[in-house]
Amino acid sequence: MSKSALIIEDDEDLANIFSIAIQEAGFETRIIRDGLLAQAALKEEQPDIVVLDMHLPGLDGSVLLEIIRSDQRLKETRVMIVTADPLMADMYTNMADLVLVKPVSFVQLRDLASRLKMG
Amino acid sequence: MTTILSFINKLIDVPTSDPDDRRRKRLLNILLLGTALLPIPLIPISVFFAGQLVDNAHDAAIIVDVAIAVFLVSAALYFINRAVKGTLAAIFFLLFLCIIFLFADDPQELANGRSLILFAVPILFSSVLLNPGSSFLFAAISSVEIVLLALSIGIIPNYPTVVVYFALGLISWLSSRSLEQALRDLRSINTNLDRLVHERTQELSDALAREKIQAGRNRAILDSIADGVIVFDNQLQSIMANPALQGLTGIPFDGVTNLERLLDVGSLSGSDREKLSTLFNKSGVEESSRLDWGNKTLSIKAAPVLDTDANLIGTVAVFRDITKEAEVERMKSKFVGVVSHELRTPLSAILGLVEMLKLGIFGPINEKQAKSTDRIMFNTRRLLDLVNDLLDQAQIEAGKLKIKIEPFKPDDLLENVRSMMTKTAATKGLPLYGELDPDLPETMLGDARRLQQILINLVNNAIKFTKDGQIDIHIFGVDPTHWGMRVRDTGIGIPEDEIERVFESFHQVDNTAARFYGGAGLGLSIVKELVDLMDGTISLTSKVNEGSAFTIVFPILGPQEIKHE
Repeated sequence: MSKSALIIEDDEDLANIFSIAIQEAGFETRIIRDGLLAQAALKEEQPDIVVLDMHLPGLDGSVLLEIIRSDQRLKETRVMIVTADPLMADMYTNMADLVLVKPVSFVQLRDLASRLKMG
Repeated sequence: MTTILSFINKLIDVPTSDPDDRRRKRLLNILLLGTALLPIPLIPISVFFAGQLVDNAHDAAIIVDVAIAVFLVSAALYFINRAVKGTLAAIFFLLFLCIIFLFADDPQELANGRSLILFAVPILFSSVLLNPGSSFLFAAISSVEIVLLALSIGIIPNYPTVVVYFALGLISWLSSRSLEQALRDLRSINTNLDRLVHERTQELSDALAREKIQAGRNRAILDSIADGVIVFDNQLQSIMANPALQGLTGIPFDGVTNLERLLDVGSLSGSDREKLSTLFNKSGVEESSRLDWGNKTLSIKAAPVLDTDANLIGTVAVFRDITKEAEVERMKSKFVGVVSHELRTPLSAILGLVEMLKLGIFGPINEKQAKSTDRIMFNTRRLLDLVNDLLDQAQIEAGKLKIKIEPFKPDDLLENVRSMMTKTAATKGLPLYGELDPDLPETMLGDARRLQQILINLVNNAIKFTKDGQIDIHIFGVDPTHWGMRVRDTGIGIPEDEIERVFESFHQVDNTAARFYGGAGLGLSIVKELVDLMDGTISLTSKVNEGSAFTIVFPILGPQEIKHE
């Protein structure tokens, strides 16, 4: 069974880029561009990777991070935060598995996802 | 007693404008009083001793007559002296003396005997009653009198006495002259003194008037300016304040009697209160501070008031309403922050998409297309760097940028920067060298990300302004408690008079350079701010057309020390 990734990013182009990069690393991807929809999806799905933008419509990325971290069912899920704000990056280094500051290189994201897939 | 004295004084005084005339007339009056009163006791004495002093009653009668005549003449002269201006009375008096002395004794005695002395009297008097030179005239008159008298009784005139009379005249002339001179000097001294007193009084009253005008002007300025002003004495009791203070702080001046009271009504936060209190208690230094006062933001400046001996006698505080400026500043920082944030997202998308194009994700591309994607990436990165700089600047201005102290390896720092910048340097054909001082500890404490940002900004700057040559990065120990980083280039250099200003925001050495080399001129100002935040110092040495070297020195944090200097 192939591994799955949930890409939570409101910007369409960026979401597509992330999606392709992570597909290249061998994941099945799904894009959600709204915080509340993402919250609903996380209740049902068990993605291996969540690529999480912090600045989202509906529900803030930080809230989604809290939800993931407090849900036992999602304890295996790896969270990659992608943010445009370097200050925010500093704040979440402890809660996320990876924090990337935009702009994220396509190659970098692909390689990091591959490494996460390996374990 | 005083009434008698003032009566006598009134009796002898002759009020005239000429002080010399007045003195002479007074003197004459004294003499006239003397001559008028002197014969009065003579009359009873002559009558009483009629048989002994004088030969007979006839002689006694003559004496009485003469005494009465003298009294009458004196009285007449007294009135003339009072009524007529000038020396007429004095001349009459002296001539009267000259005449009456002719009958004062036996002609033998008068011409060549005991009464020769009488004729000296008009000589002496004349020099003080008339002018000094008139003593010679009366010496001549007296001489003529005794010579004629001698000839009339058939004896040889006493010529040596004539010589003596003239000698007396000379002496009187000399002494009267010096007396008059002394009096004149005294009068001129007096006049000078009077003038001086008058001048000083005038100056004082002028100064006082000027002072009043100045005070009025100052008061008008204080009353009309928009800044609130309050003055405290050195016990921090308020002395004065202007109406604007009330407008700014919302408290009437009467309500602020001292600093404590001012702090109370300000409803300040604890830290602001402390800030203000230290501001005022720092004696002798001009200090300023900004704080929130109700819903206003105020800038408060305190300056010492010193007396002429430079002793502190109080403090003057100026309150300025900077609410609008502070708001604009906040909005600007927020705006720049939001804009930068919003710019990064599309730029990230462009970069990602171009990277994918180049990688052939969407199918193979030819060489020209590959070159174009490189240019798009390069230019997008430039734009992104600019946005990053703006964001950093905004954060620094808002005081939001925090330094995160963590262990880092200087070796990693150098390698990261080299690996990131070597390619950029190579596009201009410039080699980028790195050198790490082996004395530095392997691990140090600092904000590696910001240190890297500093080096990247400096290297970018060096690349931008260097056509050929090389760029060196050097990380080294300065002394046991300091370490440093240096970026040296062989570029166009910076003129000496511009060195001070290169760290200002949006500054480039000249504006044509901005167009030619690109960039907003934020890089170096951010470097400076970051270095300041890390308690470091930055210095620049540069020579036009030879190159520049930026040297930054930081204190070593934590227990590590450099082994050798």
